[in-house]
Amino acid sequence: MTDEELLKIYEQMWRLRRFEEEAGRAVVSGEIHGEMHLGIGHEAVGAMLSLHLQERDAVVSTHRSHLHALAAGVDPVELAAEILERDGLNHGKGGHMHLFDPEARFMCTGIVGAGVPIACGYALSQSMHAQGGLTVSVMGDGTMNQGAVFETMNLTAVRGLPVVFLCEDNQYSISVHRSDSTAGELHRRGEAFGIPGFACDGTDVEQTAETLGKAFDITRNQRRPSLVVTSVYRFRGHYEGDLDLYRPAREKEEAARTLDPLLKLRERLLAIQTPEAQLERAEN
Amino acid sequence: MPDPGRPGDRRTGAHLVAAALRQEMLRDASIVVFGEDVAKLGGVFGATRGLARQFGDRRVFDTPVSETAFLGMAVGAAQAGLRPVTELMFVDFLGVCFDQILNQLAKNTYMSGGRLQVPVVLRTAVGCIGSAAQHSQVLSATFAHIPGLKVFYPGSPGDLQGLLVAAIRDDNPVVFLEHKWLLKTRLSELPFNDAQPEDSEIQPSPLGQVRCLREGTDITIVTAGYMAQLALIAASDLEQDGISANVIDLRTLVPLDREGLARAARGAPFLLVLDDDYQAYGMSGEVMATIVEQLGRDAPLMSRHAVDVPIPAAAVLEAEVVPSVSSIKQAARALVKE
Repeated sequence: MTDEELLKIYEQMWRLRRFEEEAGRAVVSGEIHGEMHLGIGHEAVGAMLSLHLQERDAVVSTHRSHLHALAAGVDPVELAAEILERDGLNHGKGGHMHLFDPEARFMCTGIVGAGVPIACGYALSQSMHAQGGLTVSVMGDGTMNQGAVFETMNLTAVRGLPVVFLCEDNQYSISVHRSDSTAGELHRRGEAFGIPGFACDGTDVEQTAETLGKAFDITRNQRRPSLVVTSVYRFRGHYEGDLDLYRPAREKEEAARTLDPLLKLRERLLAIQTPEAQLERAEN
Repeated sequence: MPDPGRPGDRRTGAHLVAAALRQEMLRDASIVVFGEDVAKLGGVFGATRGLARQFGDRRVFDTPVSETAFLGMAVGAAQAGLRPVTELMFVDFLGVCFDQILNQLAKNTYMSGGRLQVPVVLRTAVGCIGSAAQHSQVLSATFAHIPGLKVFYPGSPGDLQGLLVAAIRDDNPVVFLEHKWLLKTRLSELPFNDAQPEDSEIQPSPLGQVRCLREGTDITIVTAGYMAQLALIAASDLEQDGISANVIDLRTLVPLDREGLARAARGAPFLLVLDDDYQAYGMSGEVMATIVEQLGRDAPLMSRHAVDVPIPAAAVLEAEVVPSVSSIKQAARALVKE
């Protein structure tokens, strides 16, 4: 990636973070009265997803989906209005966990694992057209333990359906650490189905871009599923208002220093002599 | 008014379903059919026989035994512009994929603020032909309880085709309940056969319109699905005893024709609701409540005959539990003589 591209991505990632911060503030102010799950810490994956998505692609996401919606091209104002429980994208019927934009081919669902088979349906439709695009099925590490995921991996593999299974592994399914819930290596879970799997540091923009690129290439060109597991850190609780006592303070402090995708990209940009003034402009 | 059964009509309900699917698939290339054993085998009840050969693997295909995956696939495919007709082999398998029905299929149109349509037809075999508690249920009320789903429960061969065509053309999700006896029985052996001749174009049946299958003045029997056929046999037997029975087929549980139901209930001083689904919190209670809401003190005296325990395996025990011609007559007599 060129220095200019990286700077643009840096700016984009700040917009994603600001969007999430504003949603968090609206919970505090009472404008949002429902549950709110923010993707602060997941910005590199969101930004790199937008880099690889093309015109006819679809995205089916989870309860933590704002960044994927923005990546898919959902109008930010309509999106914000729906999240703020106003007459937005879905006239206030869906709210932040149930966002639907048929034009952008984006949807998300509040039931963990339920979006994965639905993604397979978008891919079925795409498979019936020559240039039908592909579908990204976003999930968290917790989702990976749902039976629906295995069923869908098998079905997409046996029918040759263009699905990129994209896992954001933030280590925690609500309060339970991955080590207490999850056996084996997540990116190898497609192996038995013949699904190529990749893992990367989802807080590193360039690594994420490259790894997603490999998976998208396979799925787009060979018309078959692929799996990418990106490791990230969730900087907020599971939901806004979560006391988050299950994660040690030291772990969170350490993550803030080492796993913040914005800080990491800032350091990278400084290392390639990007002027501070340009960084500050991107941050505001 | 009822047509007499046509002697010599060797078709079964399964033939009718396949013919309706064929007609619609020829009309609309966006219709795809998938589910367990629907392609090579043509469905365990034969209701998709011949479709795979005619339309090919892209439009008619077998799925793995993964109900969650393929029902979810139906939801996504419908949202992306296809019109999937998917088969849940036995309705009893609902439990393994309920989230896709309860939280996705039924709700996505609503939650999208009307921006999405989810035109899925979920065909599924219901009712008791032996095989005990996990392969004999109807579960119609389980679906009908959920806002966002239409539920069709045809009781006649004509509706098996006409309501299926209506379901396929509907832009909303429809659960289409096919009673196994209706699928298996030769049409000539049914008391009420309103099927169109083999090569005629199948017209969609109307939705939310009850139908009177038999007129009577002493008691109204309200039912749906294959029980309508049994009710007709029971009604002609009751006639011999001097009880004149009116038989009303609900046809679609959602939408429910509440006004038509109330009109029909005015026709006789007694009303029996007959259901092969579970009684508790079910169709029988819904029908009775509707009639009382509409007619108040003018409502007929009502009772119900439905299933209220799991279906047992042994034939002799099954006969105690599942409504039959004799148990329907008994329930009707008990009510009239009360």
